[in-house]
Amino acid sequence: MNASFKLIGLLVVLFIAAPLVIVVPMSLSSAPSLQFPPPGYWLGYYAQYFSDPTWLRPTFNSIVIALANTVLTMLLVVPATFALVRHKFWGKSLANIMMMMPMAVPHIVMAIGYYSYFGQLGIVFSKLGVILAHTCLSVPITFLVLSANLKGFDRTLERAARSLGATPSQTFIHVTLPILRPGLLISSLFAFIQSFDETVVAIFISGRNAETLPRKMFDSIRQDADPVIAVISTLLFLVVLAGLLAPHVLRLTRRLFGRPATHTEPRS
Amino acid sequence: MTSYLQLSGLNKTFGTFTALEDVNLDVQKGEFITFLGPSGSGKTTTLMIIAGFEKATHGAITLEGQSIAALAPQDRNIGIVFQNYALFPHKTAEENVYFPLQMRKVKRAEGMAQARKMLDLVGLGGFEHRYPKELSGGQQQRVALARALVFEPDLLLLDEPLGALDKNLRESMQIEIKRIQKTLGVTTIFVTHDQTEAMSMSDRIVVFSNGRIEQAGAPLDIYHKPSTRFVADFIGESNLVPATITDPAAQTADSPLLGAMSYAAEGAPAVRAGQEVTLVLRPEHLKLSRAPLEGYHSAQMKIETIVNFGDSGLVIGHKDGTQLRVRVPGVDVVILQEGDDCYVNWTQEHVYLVQE
Amino acid sequence: MTAVSENPVRTGSASARPERASLTPWLLLAPLAAYLAIFFVVPLAQVAMMSVTEPTPGLGNYEKVLTSPLYRKVFLNTFSTALLVTVCCLLVGYPLAYLMVHTTRRRAMMILLLITMSFWTSFLVRTYAWMVLLGRNGPLSWVFLQLGWDEPPQMLFTRFASTLAMVHILAPYMIMNIYSVMQKIDPSLVRSAESMGARGRSLFRHVYLPLSAPGIANGSVLVFVICLGFYVTPVLLGSPREQMAAGLIGRQIEEFLAFGPGSAMAMVLLVVTLVILAIYHRRFGLDKLYG
Repeated sequence: MNASFKLIGLLVVLFIAAPLVIVVPMSLSSAPSLQFPPPGYWLGYYAQYFSDPTWLRPTFNSIVIALANTVLTMLLVVPATFALVRHKFWGKSLANIMMMMPMAVPHIVMAIGYYSYFGQLGIVFSKLGVILAHTCLSVPITFLVLSANLKGFDRTLERAARSLGATPSQTFIHVTLPILRPGLLISSLFAFIQSFDETVVAIFISGRNAETLPRKMFDSIRQDADPVIAVISTLLFLVVLAGLLAPHVLRLTRRLFGRPATHTEPRS
Repeated sequence: MTSYLQLSGLNKTFGTFTALEDVNLDVQKGEFITFLGPSGSGKTTTLMIIAGFEKATHGAITLEGQSIAALAPQDRNIGIVFQNYALFPHKTAEENVYFPLQMRKVKRAEGMAQARKMLDLVGLGGFEHRYPKELSGGQQQRVALARALVFEPDLLLLDEPLGALDKNLRESMQIEIKRIQKTLGVTTIFVTHDQTEAMSMSDRIVVFSNGRIEQAGAPLDIYHKPSTRFVADFIGESNLVPATITDPAAQTADSPLLGAMSYAAEGAPAVRAGQEVTLVLRPEHLKLSRAPLEGYHSAQMKIETIVNFGDSGLVIGHKDGTQLRVRVPGVDVVILQEGDDCYVNWTQEHVYLVQE
Repeated sequence: MTAVSENPVRTGSASARPERASLTPWLLLAPLAAYLAIFFVVPLAQVAMMSVTEPTPGLGNYEKVLTSPLYRKVFLNTFSTALLVTVCCLLVGYPLAYLMVHTTRRRAMMILLLITMSFWTSFLVRTYAWMVLLGRNGPLSWVFLQLGWDEPPQMLFTRFASTLAMVHILAPYMIMNIYSVMQKIDPSLVRSAESMGARGRSLFRHVYLPLSAPGIANGSVLVFVICLGFYVTPVLLGSPREQMAAGLIGRQIEEFLAFGPGSAMAMVLLVVTLVILAIYHRRFGLDKLYG
């Protein structure tokens, strides 16, 4: 039973890993269409991606939209999370459900809604429209991450600060905010990624002007299967890999150089 | 003369639940007071009212004659050490200690120097740059203490600060806290549910139960003259014996279990003949013998269990289905046998009369 | 909670600050509530509106969507695919989660890293990767050729392709949910069951399976619900003749501008999704789902 379990495990690992890895050689292939094994290797499609405005513009759009989405989401979600985690009030459970709703509604449903609603408002096919829509979709995940952090926050620390002479706002600035910073960073990252990866709503409402990278990729995959997609996929994959390995690398370097960096945050 | 800190008529209710009822207390300057009681007895609530984190429903609280009830916590100048120390995890030891000075607009260079001096006083010189999670429990405790003292608070509150430490460390921290408190002369209120901690550290102990002060007094007074059944039961070990007063003037009572006896006059509450009371007999005040001792009250019992602690032993005997506990010197343990019949003996001054 | 709370009433109650409890949370919540009302509730309500007003007022769209064989086939297809994907995810995920709990720490961390990597890689990239793998000139066809299969089977643009890719994309949700529950199973429970004579299959059925059931429930609901509304992968990899609901909704809007039937389908999809989540919420609490 143990050996067979291991074999199954190995197969599953292969199944999960293979698609992640396969895009790398394909991005280096010199073939003009998908072909395995690649007839030759070159960096031509990388050069093409970095010089082709039809690819660079959507990339730029996506970054701008994701950044704006992150700022807007955090401005809205941070105070709301404080309200929901730290206070009791009438209608709280309803508010909690409301925060989670955008996660429960299939994106295709929202896509139709935005397509028609933003058409009336005159902001369909604009960056503003995509930002406004993505912000709704970013609320649940941001709230989940942040509220988990806030629930783990030891409020005795705030009492301690007050007893030591800090006013409520000084307590917030000197104690609450710095301790919550990792949580704030991570939830911002979630908001950013959720917008950067969001495809369905963007397909319907980003149009030509605000075309996002996922929309451009979707169209390209559907129409001409431009090999540049393999390049972008590889790059996105490498970004994720770097993001996941970064903490390990940081920890290793820290251990190598002795003292911890300026801030060692608790895992709350 | 008015006291340094005065609590009068404090009441605190949460909805229908009464957390505190008519708490009155006078604390003198420089005193080390311990609030002792089981959890939920109101000791921490009282502490939080003094600190300003809770508002009393009724009652007054004054510090040096001034009411502080309306002051926000940050304006009270009271240092607190919390149960989990509440050190700021993103600040080093010295930054933690500097924090209250920073809030009081002390220049960084000067404040840091003061912080380091305070860390030296609590025995943490050389650990200034460590973050809390790089410190042991006892070291964190010292940082918390330094932080609560560095701004020369009018009052130091310690909320079960030793609860998380292991036994040996706890004992050395007790001595350490006491030493620092004496050095600085700061008026201190210490909250604990541990009676040995209370006994060893305090000038005065305040026993809480069910939101009320049961008794306040010097440790030995509380131990030897418990004024209520709760105090007798909670502090030290006790044999609690029901009895009926026969003659209040002669301090005599009749116990169905141990027979007629007289009780200590000192500290006994006013009673009338025929009143049902409880008599307290400490295990260490009872003597065992094969025959009744001359000049003692005596009663017969059968030894059921002997627990040997090495330096002493605890003999648990039965009389008419009621347990009696007797503490005996270590040398006596070996000559006693489970199942033996023997006599318990005691004298009048060791029988305390308490109320329910 | 804070360790200072010794009194049960104060713990977790707002009564610590009665003077401020009333207005503060509302002020903090107001901006987001207003935002969601304007940019989430209104567009959603508009879909509901369109479903009963486009092109003519009435329940015609629903009648069409719920009774015509074409739509029924699509819904059926959607459900069966979602079910199939969920079962496959479970078959793939459960053994791996089990392995992760029982292998060395190092190996578990490696697998965890791989799964997290897959999880964080965008749906689109993973879908594209399957397109590469299953393509006519792709690695899998090449393997078939090497094995002497003259005419490798058509794999792309079939239900097989979209199902496979969706299993791959959604498996991390399943694995993470089961893994987090399994990890908390007290090994001493299993050991004590063994000491009482439970072995192999019966140990698994009576001890391990019930204890890991919450993880299975979480993962399955999550995978099933995401799959019901899945658009990208079925559209790009699936057979055009065997569409799923989201794909058909999209086509009606994009190609035919048929907002009425599209909205009605969207509403049906929404209601089904919400009903499943509501049942789940009542039994377990939604907040645990994404925990």
